[in-house]
Amino acid sequence: MRKKSYLYVIWIILIGVFVSFSIVGAAEKLAKEQVLTIAFDVGDAKTFEPHRAAATGDRPIADMVFNGLVRYPPGNQVAVEPDLAKSWKVSKDGKAWTFELRKGVYFHPFPGYPNGYELTSEDVVYSLKRAANPDHSSYAGEYSGLTFETVDPYTVKITIEKPVSETLFLAKVASYAGGFIVSKKAIEEKGVEWFKMNPIGTGPFIFKSYEPRQKTVLVPNRKYFRGAPILKEVVIRYMPSVSSREMGLQTGELQIIEGLKEDKWIEKIAAFPDVRVKAFGPCETQMLHFNMNKEPFNDIRVRKAVSYAISREEVAAFMGKGLAVPIHSPAQAPPAPGALTKEEALKADVVYEDNIAEAKKLLAEAGHPNGFKTEVIISEMESSYKKPMIAIQAQLKKVGIDMALKVVDHSSFHSLIREDASPIVYYASWRPNVDVFLTRFYHSDSVIKKGKKPDTNFSHYGMVDANGDGKIDSIDELIEKARWELDAKKQMALWREAQIKLLKDVAMVPIIRLKYAFPMKASVDLGNPLDFSWATYAPQITEKTRILAK
Amino acid sequence: MFQYAVRRILQSIPILLVVLTLVFVVVRILPGDPAVAFLGDYASKESVQTLREKMGLNIPLWLQYFRFLGDLCKGNLGKSITGYPVASQVFKALPYTLELTLSAISIGYLLGIPLGISAAVRRNSLIDYFNRVFSLLGLSIPAFYLGILLMFLFSIKFKLFPVVGGGDLSSLTSNLRHLFLPALSLGLIMTAYVTRMTRSSLLNILREDYVRTARSKGITERVVLFKHALRNALIPIVALGGVYAIVLIGSSVMTEIVFSRPGLGSLMVGAIKQRDYTTLQSVMVIYSVIVVILNLLTDLVYGFIDPRIQYK
Repeated sequence: MRKKSYLYVIWIILIGVFVSFSIVGAAEKLAKEQVLTIAFDVGDAKTFEPHRAAATGDRPIADMVFNGLVRYPPGNQVAVEPDLAKSWKVSKDGKAWTFELRKGVYFHPFPGYPNGYELTSEDVVYSLKRAANPDHSSYAGEYSGLTFETVDPYTVKITIEKPVSETLFLAKVASYAGGFIVSKKAIEEKGVEWFKMNPIGTGPFIFKSYEPRQKTVLVPNRKYFRGAPILKEVVIRYMPSVSSREMGLQTGELQIIEGLKEDKWIEKIAAFPDVRVKAFGPCETQMLHFNMNKEPFNDIRVRKAVSYAISREEVAAFMGKGLAVPIHSPAQAPPAPGALTKEEALKADVVYEDNIAEAKKLLAEAGHPNGFKTEVIISEMESSYKKPMIAIQAQLKKVGIDMALKVVDHSSFHSLIREDASPIVYYASWRPNVDVFLTRFYHSDSVIKKGKKPDTNFSHYGMVDANGDGKIDSIDELIEKARWELDAKKQMALWREAQIKLLKDVAMVPIIRLKYAFPMKASVDLGNPLDFSWATYAPQITEKTRILAK
Repeated sequence: MFQYAVRRILQSIPILLVVLTLVFVVVRILPGDPAVAFLGDYASKESVQTLREKMGLNIPLWLQYFRFLGDLCKGNLGKSITGYPVASQVFKALPYTLELTLSAISIGYLLGIPLGISAAVRRNSLIDYFNRVFSLLGLSIPAFYLGILLMFLFSIKFKLFPVVGGGDLSSLTSNLRHLFLPALSLGLIMTAYVTRMTRSSLLNILREDYVRTARSKGITERVVLFKHALRNALIPIVALGGVYAIVLIGSSVMTEIVFSRPGLGSLMVGAIKQRDYTTLQSVMVIYSVIVVILNLLTDLVYGFIDPRIQYK
């Protein structure tokens, strides 16, 4: 009898194991057609040159076709891991970086090279020199002061005039922006013009074809060093009509679409059968920059009053809680390394928000007991500019500030704000690290019109007396000190110090970070957690991405 | 007639020149810098300046204008911002726009004329009321909105037709499946125009003395209608086909966007979004040439179908 019970137990266990395997097997079963079509809200591709690719529809292609010496693992914002380089070391003085390349990495095939050719240090040096050349790269400024040389076919040495921390240095050679490695032979033998339309890299997907204003097709790189991709084809479609993208997703012609950054829209789409939506970063950090060169915003009491009148939580709620998160850092938003967190800002006592009484008191002190009128230029772009400013406009009204919004098209907005035409600039952006953010928004060299290299310092910080003590306030020294600081901890501390100083002087009000949302078919398994995407505006498609059977 | 056609073609040249100048000016007064639009706000000042030079935006406007005209005379449409030859893009896009417009015109005539006849013959009947409401709706609803409704019905609900792209031109089935909905949405608008026009034109003709004479002679109503009345009623309808076609080309821009068809409309909207001057200019030039040709054809066809018209 006891023997029989044992047999029953064994049978039950066996059946359980079998059923579990069947369930797992069924869940993991691949769909027959491994063609992934992703549609973007753009009219066309802008460029296939990786060192130029910055637009929504372009960066994901560069991300799939090219590699860097190192990479941020898909879905991860902070960590760095080997990519084309299998290891690297830095000299004691921090000036010489030596990268050892992986062997057996092949470029995609192109005419004359039906099987591609093996990547060597020459390609790496050629690519980085190209990234440093403004004729071919939008990121040339990041590579000034760097020299590149081949040590042997699999070793590259990069020398930097002034050493920087690992965080800042590795960002230059990561698979992002200027760090993409291109095929030297393809460009030299086929020509620059040919390469512009036929990007040749080492990435998991090979560029197959491009139909202007329609689509770009990529096919798998069977020789990819991390293993052949599962997908048989990736189609990038350029579809500026949101209703068409929506319907394409519903009919199954599209698997992933660029969505609207609106909570209500996302709720609607998420209710479609077989569709899931996940909001992810990098997020646009949205900030309100005061033009401290214009009255009344040259008065710190007025700026502080505006800051007190604003409730970040309310703006975030207005934008949609699933997408918008309040921020307190004047640079990158956390979790970016070195970005000020709310706790740090509170500890430093630089959080001025949500206090109407205090705002009114400060306005009265500044000679505006009944508030004042101002006109602000804002972009027509809904979620990044107009909508949050409408929320802020209503909040300011409560303290008597009548802020008229002059809505202009996005290109005009960029031109006008750089011409010093607006007393307040609401700006949405993403920059790869805190150094870039602080430099471009608050260094005196970057002051619009007046700086040595005019950029996006709309507040004029570094050229004006921000706190009314009769001295020019600047964080130039802190930015530069942090840039050359090799100790990561000390570097972060310097960045934090700079951010606290900016907040104390109320050069701007950090408002929210806004995530992206790309609705996709539930059957799409990206193969990465999609918390963050280095393809910037779209989910990362890698060799692990696959489409599961329903 | 040949002389007339040649004269009209020669007359079109100054019109085209004015249009080209307007196109050049309009494209350049569009706000925003194409180099910044292309590179994004993260790009360095040097990169933007280098690209501006490459795009020829740093030279004086008048020189850009003469270069534009010179290149056009040589048949050189230049390269788009992506580096792709514009001529090749235009010639790839043109068949999609032409097939869409021609299909819509065909649907318009094939449905509109019978509907118009039935409304005129049974004036103030239920059919007439239906036709009048249909025409009114057709004239009021924008083609792109109708397109979205059709997509919802035929693609989402019944899963009959695709919603993305223009299909493969070399495959008849794929092409027709992708063409059906956009052609129907534009065609129904055209049908509304034709129905209304046919009805009012036929009603006017049916009141003519010669129609009354024909009836009094005992000729059957069918013969009176199709042989005597309709032939004359169709003259303004057919002649106005050119004008309708021009209206349809305008409506086709949004229809192409909604259905993601790779036609001239999509090309133009994409170019506007990217501040791609070269492509935008070229597409607008092609549209202008089409409109001028259609006007010319309308004039010539009018002479064919109405022998009373003399070419002088």
